[in-house]
Amino acid sequence: MLQFRTKGYQGTALHYSPFYDNKLLVSSSANYGLVGNGRLYVLSIQPTGEISQDIAYDTQDGLFDCAWSEIHENQVVCANGDGSIKMFDIGVKSPFPIMQWKEHQREVYCVNWNLVDKSQFLSTSWDGTVKIWSPQRPQSSLLTLNTIKPGFKNNCAYQGTWNPHNKDMLMSVNANGFVSVFDLRMGQPLVQEFLGHAGFEILTCDWNKYRPNVIATGSVDKSIKIWDLRMIQGSIDNSPMNGNTGSPIPMNQLLGHEFAVKKITWSPHSAGELLSCSYDMSARVWQDYTADNNMSRFRKNQCKMFNRHTEFVAGGEYSLWGQPGWCGTVGWDEMCYVFDSRRL
Amino acid sequence: MERLNQIKDQITAPFAQSQETLTSKKSDDVVIISAYRTPITKGGKGYFKDVKSDELLYRFLVEFLAKLPSDFNPGKIGDVSVGNVLNKGAGATEFRAACLAAGIPYSTPFSVINRQCSSSLTTVNDIANKIKVGQIEVGLALGIESMSQFYGPGAIADISDVLKKDKEAAKCGIPMGITNENIAAKYTLSREDQDKFAAESYQKAEKALKQGLFKEEILPITIDSYKEDPDDEDEKPQKVTVDTDGGPRANVTAQSLGKIRAAFKKDGTTTAGNSSQVSDGASGVLLAKRSTAEKLGLPIIGKYIDFVAVGVPPEIMGVGPGYAIPELLTKNGVNVSDVAVFEINEAFAGQAIWSINKVGIDYNKVNPRGGAIALGHPLGATGGRQVATIMRELKTGEIGVTSMCIGTGMGAAALFVKE
Repeated sequence: MLQFRTKGYQGTALHYSPFYDNKLLVSSSANYGLVGNGRLYVLSIQPTGEISQDIAYDTQDGLFDCAWSEIHENQVVCANGDGSIKMFDIGVKSPFPIMQWKEHQREVYCVNWNLVDKSQFLSTSWDGTVKIWSPQRPQSSLLTLNTIKPGFKNNCAYQGTWNPHNKDMLMSVNANGFVSVFDLRMGQPLVQEFLGHAGFEILTCDWNKYRPNVIATGSVDKSIKIWDLRMIQGSIDNSPMNGNTGSPIPMNQLLGHEFAVKKITWSPHSAGELLSCSYDMSARVWQDYTADNNMSRFRKNQCKMFNRHTEFVAGGEYSLWGQPGWCGTVGWDEMCYVFDSRRL
Repeated sequence: MERLNQIKDQITAPFAQSQETLTSKKSDDVVIISAYRTPITKGGKGYFKDVKSDELLYRFLVEFLAKLPSDFNPGKIGDVSVGNVLNKGAGATEFRAACLAAGIPYSTPFSVINRQCSSSLTTVNDIANKIKVGQIEVGLALGIESMSQFYGPGAIADISDVLKKDKEAAKCGIPMGITNENIAAKYTLSREDQDKFAAESYQKAEKALKQGLFKEEILPITIDSYKEDPDDEDEKPQKVTVDTDGGPRANVTAQSLGKIRAAFKKDGTTTAGNSSQVSDGASGVLLAKRSTAEKLGLPIIGKYIDFVAVGVPPEIMGVGPGYAIPELLTKNGVNVSDVAVFEINEAFAGQAIWSINKVGIDYNKVNPRGGAIALGHPLGATGGRQVATIMRELKTGEIGVTSMCIGTGMGAAALFVKE
């Protein structure tokens, strides 16, 4: 297990570089993101096992997420509490962003780069919108998608992710309890919408990297649900007579976290493995038995726990590099850990 | 600060239900088809003083069923639940007879419920639950009380000597008026405030009466032979149609109520003027599953959301609404400010004031057409009376709460949406 302390700043997200096998990007906020500055760390894992800081960018407001460009090895973006999105170039010796977009009306909570059409990334915000951006278009966003439900007090779009199988599909999850699936090829991009956790806030979501129709969502109801989008029917039809009585039934449900699930991410190496980070100070690695097409689906879900963090675990990701199973996590205890989940 | 609240919400995970979810229309909702009541008359004095409780229920039911679409078959009613407090055995026999006489076929089952002053709100909950779990599709919740007939020394419970030795159990025998004196003493509620609250109840009721606001919810009841004095052989029995409440009086002020002597305790604050009236009356609420109501072509006036009953100390039973309402609202993710109208039973001015202040309700939203102090409190019929009233007070899409305290220490509250 390797570690790095983000001293004075509490980690909010961690991402592995898609270009360098030893680089990590960590976003963080002072004062637990409640008020104050943010800091974006670029870290390197040394051959000696140490994690060292390459560079750190300070921002005026807390940072809640970050992402590597999939097309340029030196470019990174971060989601700012002041509603802006900033892009830095880690090859340029300057503390200032090379590009900045300011359209969101409130805190930006997520940025996610498109893995197929690598010219685009998305952002989600407390203002209830999902916006799509391109570095080739510095003056404005490409598209705004609305996930606001009238009548709800909180319409915060916590997270959005691009479908890794289809460049035009993405989904977002919201504090109003809805999962929204968008297909940008459609005139009406919202193609599917359902209450994922019976109305509880949904904080995180991810597309399975091997099963194109399978997604996972994590909620304040402490559960992770795994869905096959083909099995969720009629969810856009709000007519009273369609018998739609709230939440559809997931394929699988992973129970174990003792507080809200803040972040989930599927393994890049296995169709049935995912990592979850929770306010219960643990990160867990789950085996989803519905991935196998054989008798083993009658096994129980298996769960392994990483419990080194001493505060909320806010972000985490699998390494694309080296032996499958390596993960990194960051949390409010100002710690960044890199560990081998197979050895838990 | 908002960020802190957001993280707090993520950890405590309140149900993210919105007003829109509450007011949305789903096929398995429990909906209100109709809600009516009889006029409420004064116990021992009003037009219903010599009408037996079963006869009153029968006459009300005939009118109630006549209000439904003419092609509605009463046999579709899957269950009848009657709330009553004072009849022997809550009237299980005579009220079944009243149902049969009114045209509800013998094939429709029947039961009675006695949860003191919340009896007919509890029947609404009972019927709604049966619809929710799929036991029945349509159900009738009724409430009936003839305090003229049964209220008096005989209505006092006979608690055995063994239980009287138990300090907690003995408290169940405390007269209701004394429980209000206990609240007034414990929370220092003044006589003046209680009289002012009571006078406002009278003034609101008087105004509503003048504007004819009760006409829609009241079903006129015709009695064949009314005599002011049944023992007077010279008086001719006359046929009377009663269509107006007997309780409200004009020109009641806090000053005029201030002259009345305390009823329960020397230098107490609870008087006949700031307590609910002894009354006779009946009420009824027809509920159904939405899909069934639409199939049968029944009108839908509102939606039942939820019901909560809580226990409180018997010696201050009047605090019940102060505990039941917050629990109901929290459970359903509703803020006090989201509710348009509260119908809170005014058993006594003191307990009502305490409960309203405890929950933090705007007085303008409470009992806009007066409460039990002015209108009367026919115990077992009050819950249904409140539903009938609130369904006329609310505008489409608004949320309403009905609530009351319950003798022996309880509170009940229910949440409705007007459609």
